[in-house]
Amino acid sequence: MRSFGYTRPDSAQAAVAAFAAAGEGARYIAGGTTLYDLMKLDIERPAHLIDVTAIRGLDAIETGGDRLRFGALAPMSEVATNRTVLRDYPVLAESLAKAASQQLRNMATVGGNLFQRTRCLYFRNGAGGTSAGTTYPCNKREPGSGCAAIGGLDRGQAVLGQSASCTAVSPGDWPIALVALDAYVEILGAAGTRSLPVAELYRLPGNTPHLEFTLAPDEIVTAIVVPKTRAGRRSAYHKIRDRESYAFALASAAVALDMDNDTVRQARIALGGVATRPWRATAAEAALAGQRLTPDTAAAAGRAALTGAVPGRHNGFKIDLAQRTVADALLIAAKRTTA
Amino acid sequence: MTSAPFPDRPRVDAREKVLGQAQYAADVAVPGLLYAMLVPATIAKGSVRSVPVDAAMRVAGVVRVLTASDFPPPPAGGAGGPPPPPTITDQIAYRGQPVALVVAETLEAAIEGAEAIRPTYAAMAFVATIEGDGVEPQPVEPSTGGDADAAMARAVTRHEAEYVSPAQHHNPIEMLSTTAVWEGGVLTVYEGTQGSNMAKGALMRTLRLSADQVVVKSPQIGGGFGQKGGAQRQTAIVARAAMLLGRPVKLVVPRGQIFHNATFRPKNRHRIEIGADAEGRMIAVRYDADQQQSRQGQFPPAYHESPPMMYGIADYHGTAANLRIDTQAPGYMRAPTPHPSSFAFDSAVDEMAVKLGIDPLAFRLKHRATRDPIDDKPFSTHFLHECLTEGARRFGWDKRPLAAGATVRPDGTQVGWGVGCGAYPANVHPTIATLRIGADGTTRFAAAGHEMGQGIRSTIEQVLVRELAIDPAGLEIAIGDTSVAPQHVTAGSWGTASAVIAAERAAASAKAAMADLLAGRTPPAGNLHRQLATVRRPSIQVEVTTTGPGQGAKEVERLRQGGMAVSGPVYPQFTSFSYIAHFVEVHVEPRTRRIRVPRVVSVADCGRVISPRTAASQVRGGVVWAISACLREATEVDPRYGGWLNNDLADYVVAVNADIGEIDVAFVDQPDNMFNALGAKGLGEVAMTGCAAAVANAVYHATGKRLREMPFRIENLL
Repeated sequence: MRSFGYTRPDSAQAAVAAFAAAGEGARYIAGGTTLYDLMKLDIERPAHLIDVTAIRGLDAIETGGDRLRFGALAPMSEVATNRTVLRDYPVLAESLAKAASQQLRNMATVGGNLFQRTRCLYFRNGAGGTSAGTTYPCNKREPGSGCAAIGGLDRGQAVLGQSASCTAVSPGDWPIALVALDAYVEILGAAGTRSLPVAELYRLPGNTPHLEFTLAPDEIVTAIVVPKTRAGRRSAYHKIRDRESYAFALASAAVALDMDNDTVRQARIALGGVATRPWRATAAEAALAGQRLTPDTAAAAGRAALTGAVPGRHNGFKIDLAQRTVADALLIAAKRTTA
Repeated sequence: MTSAPFPDRPRVDAREKVLGQAQYAADVAVPGLLYAMLVPATIAKGSVRSVPVDAAMRVAGVVRVLTASDFPPPPAGGAGGPPPPPTITDQIAYRGQPVALVVAETLEAAIEGAEAIRPTYAAMAFVATIEGDGVEPQPVEPSTGGDADAAMARAVTRHEAEYVSPAQHHNPIEMLSTTAVWEGGVLTVYEGTQGSNMAKGALMRTLRLSADQVVVKSPQIGGGFGQKGGAQRQTAIVARAAMLLGRPVKLVVPRGQIFHNATFRPKNRHRIEIGADAEGRMIAVRYDADQQQSRQGQFPPAYHESPPMMYGIADYHGTAANLRIDTQAPGYMRAPTPHPSSFAFDSAVDEMAVKLGIDPLAFRLKHRATRDPIDDKPFSTHFLHECLTEGARRFGWDKRPLAAGATVRPDGTQVGWGVGCGAYPANVHPTIATLRIGADGTTRFAAAGHEMGQGIRSTIEQVLVRELAIDPAGLEIAIGDTSVAPQHVTAGSWGTASAVIAAERAAASAKAAMADLLAGRTPPAGNLHRQLATVRRPSIQVEVTTTGPGQGAKEVERLRQGGMAVSGPVYPQFTSFSYIAHFVEVHVEPRTRRIRVPRVVSVADCGRVISPRTAASQVRGGVVWAISACLREATEVDPRYGGWLNNDLADYVVAVNADIGEIDVAFVDQPDNMFNALGAKGLGEVAMTGCAAAVANAVYHATGKRLREMPFRIENLL
C-alpha cells in the first residue's frame, strides 16, 4: 500500500473533472470494499482516489413507471431489502443478499459491485504486497507474464469463456442477475452521457485479460436500469458455494420465467461462478421456449446452458454442478407465484 | 476439598469481551511506539543474495531496515523454537520466510517500506508436497501392544482402507503480534502466546539475554488452538529491533504471512487394517500413519496416542513416519493428532460394523476398554460407554434404520445418522501458585496458565469461590506473565487440571493460615476479607506447589526453568484419558449435493466439570471445528511454487454460522480421583476428536458413499 492523493467532489460532473485533473493513476472509489482490498494486496496502486460517495442523489432507488432505476451509490443492502425488489424481482434481491456479508453489503454500492475483480488465487497473490508472501505470474496483473492457474490448482477457475491467457472467473452475483434481466447502465464521462447493456460492460479475456471492462477510465456508472418484466416474480438466484454464506459461487444461476400455466413462454438464464464474464445462456433459453417446465426439461436446459464448456484439471465438476444449479433454479423460480 | 458437581457461573471475562473492552497484547498502549512489517521471501528454497534497502529508506517515516546481519548467529541445536531459528537468516527454507523487518513511525510507512524491498535470491530446487518426487519416509518408534500379526491371522473379517486429512491452518481471529519494549536493560514483550515461558526462553537464547532481562506478558489470547503455543517466528525479530533502536516496536503479522510462517496441521495419511473374530469383535489393528514434515521440524507424528485407548483391542501395531519437504515447521493444532487419527480410526470402525451388518452404536458398545494395551496399565477412569449410551438416548438413535440410504425426504434430500468417538490424553504440569487475600476485599491468585478463551480464569474463580468466602468482584487472577509466577505452556488440555488443583491447594492453605491466625477463637462474622479486617490483619498470603501423579522435584525445577514439565497420559499406576461420543445428523441435497449438519449431540467424559458454562462452550467449539475440518478447511499448495495459495480468510474456507445447526452438549461429570483431588481431566482437545468421523459415518448412512479424504466437498458426492 502506498501514499495516494484524495479528492471528494460533490457532483458527478465534478468527479469526472477531478479525474481528468488528477491525470495518470487516478481511480474512482465508492464503498471501497474491492479497491482497498486490492490496494492492500498491492494489485491496485492508484496515485489518486476520487471518492464519489459525497455526490448527492446518486443513491436513489426508483421503482415507479416501466423500469427500476438504482442510483449507482445505493448500498447493496438497501436494494436487497427494497420491498418492490423483494416482491417483484427476487432474482435481484437474492443475488445481493447472497453476496458478501451484511457489513460489506452496507458499505458496497450496486454501481461499484459491477466492477469487482476476479477472485482467482493466482491473481490475488504475488503482486508484492506484504500480506501474501507468494508470487505467481498472472497475465491479468502483469500482461505477458503467463497464467499460473493453467496447469495449476484450477478448481475455482472458469469452464466457459476462458482463453490460453486467462481462466479467471468473473466473481459477481448481482451482475449475473442484471444480465439475465437485460439491465443497462447509465454512464457519465468527459465525453458526456451514454448507456450500455450490463452484458456489454464485460470483455472476454482473449489475449488481453488485463482489459476487463469496456468503460473508459474516466467514465463512471451513475445508475443501473432494469426494464420491468412480468418474469420478475418467477425469478430466482441460486448460488452453490463451498459454505452456506460468505463465499463466492462455484456455480450460480439467475433465472426468470415468463410462463403460460406450466409452459414456458420465455426464459432468461444467466450463469455465474463458471465463466470469465457474466454468461447469458441463450441456448438454454431457446431450449425451454414453448416447453412445459418439468424436471426433465429443466435438466435439459441445464445441459444446454453449459454448451461449449471446457474443463481444466480440477474443475470438471463445475460443468455438472452448473447444469444441476440451472435446473434447480428453474424449478425454484417456477414454483414462485405471480399473484 | 470436595468433588461435588460445580454450579453454573458466568464466564469471568464475558462482559468485557461483549463490550470490546478486553485487552489483547496488541492493544497495550506504549508511548513512543514504532511500527514494523516483515518482508517475506518470494522463493521456496535457497539463499538471499542481497536486500537492497535504499528504496525503503526513502519512504518518509521509515526508521530502519533489519536484515540477517543485524542478528546474532542462531543458537546451536534445535531446543525450543521451531527451526529454522526464529530470527532473520539468509538461508531460505520455505516461501514467505522473513528476510527483513522494516521499522517506521507509522504502520503505513512500514508497509510501504516493506513493499519497496525487492531482495535478490539464489533459488534452489525444492519439494513442496508429500506427493512430490524424492520424499523419503522417516519412521519413528512404532506403538505396539500384543501381537497384531498373529491376531490378524485369526481374524475372520477384515477391513482395510486409507484415510487422508489435509494441511490446515488454525486462523484464530487474533493475529500473531509482538510488542517489544527495551528499557533499563530489561526486555518486556507483550504477545498473545500460550507459552510466555517459551517466548522468554527463545528470546534468551536467540538474543543472548539472561532470565532476569526478559519479561513476557500474554494478557488475553483471541484464540490460540496451538498456533500460539511455541516460540513464534516474529518475536525475537521484533525484540531485536526494539533493542537496536531503543524504542518500543510493534508488529502485527498480516494473515497471509501467518499462513506462511506460523505452524499448521500437516497433511497426514492413515492406512488402517482391522480384523474381527467370529463373534464380531475387533481383535487386531495394523495401522500405518505418515505426515508432512519440514526439513528440521519436530512435531511428532503421534497418531497412535488415542486409537488404542478406545475399544479394548489388545493386539495393536501402529507405525508412523515423517515425510520431510520444504515447508515451514508444522505444529500442534487443536486435537493435533487425535483429530485426524480419530477421523480415520472411527471411520474404519464404522466400516467394520457395516461389513458385519451390526448397528454402529451396538458394535462400539461390544468393546469396553479396561487397560491401555500399549503401556499395559489400567485406566484411571474410562466412561466412553456412558458417553455413548447417554448420547444415543438424547439423539434418539433407536429410531435409526440400519441400511444406508434408507431415509429420503419427499424432495429427495438424503438423511443420515452417524456416531463417532474420540479420546485425548489427560496431562498435567506442576504449578507454583501464590494466593493473597486482603482485608480490603481484594484477592490475587498468581500461577501458571494462559487465558485463550477456553475459560481458565473462570475455572480458577469457580474453585476459589467455592472453597473460600471471598468476594469474586475483587478477585484478580494473574496468569500468562513470566513476572508473576513460573509459567508453563497452556495446551494439550492440561491447563485447567493443572491450575485448579493449585487453586484448591492454595485455598486449603489459606484456610489453614486463617485458622492459625484465629488460634482457636470463633471466626468473626462476614467473609474472609471482613474477618481479616476484624482481626486487624491487612492480608494473608500463601504459596503452594502442586504436582501431578508421579511428579516431583525434577518436574518442579523444569517448571522454574521455563521448560516443558508435562506428564501423562501414562502415569506410574495408571493411564488417563478423556473421552467423547458424538452423534451427527446430516442432510445431503438431492442434486447439488451440499452436505448440511442440522443436529449434533455430544457427550464428554472429562472427569469432574469445573465450569459448566465454559466447558459446554468448549465442546460446541470443538464440534464446530470438526464440522469445519471435515467439510470445509484445506490449505492448498501449488507444487510448482510452494507456499500456501489460499492464504486469507476469504479463500481458506472455515465454517460460518450458517453452516452450524443445533449442538446439544452433555457431560458424564464423574470425577477422576486417581488423577487429581478435584477429579478434573482435560476437555478442549477431546471435544473435537471423533466428530469428523461421526460426520463421515452419517454421510455414508445418508448416501451409501464412504468418503475417506477430508474435506468432503460438493464434487465428492456429485
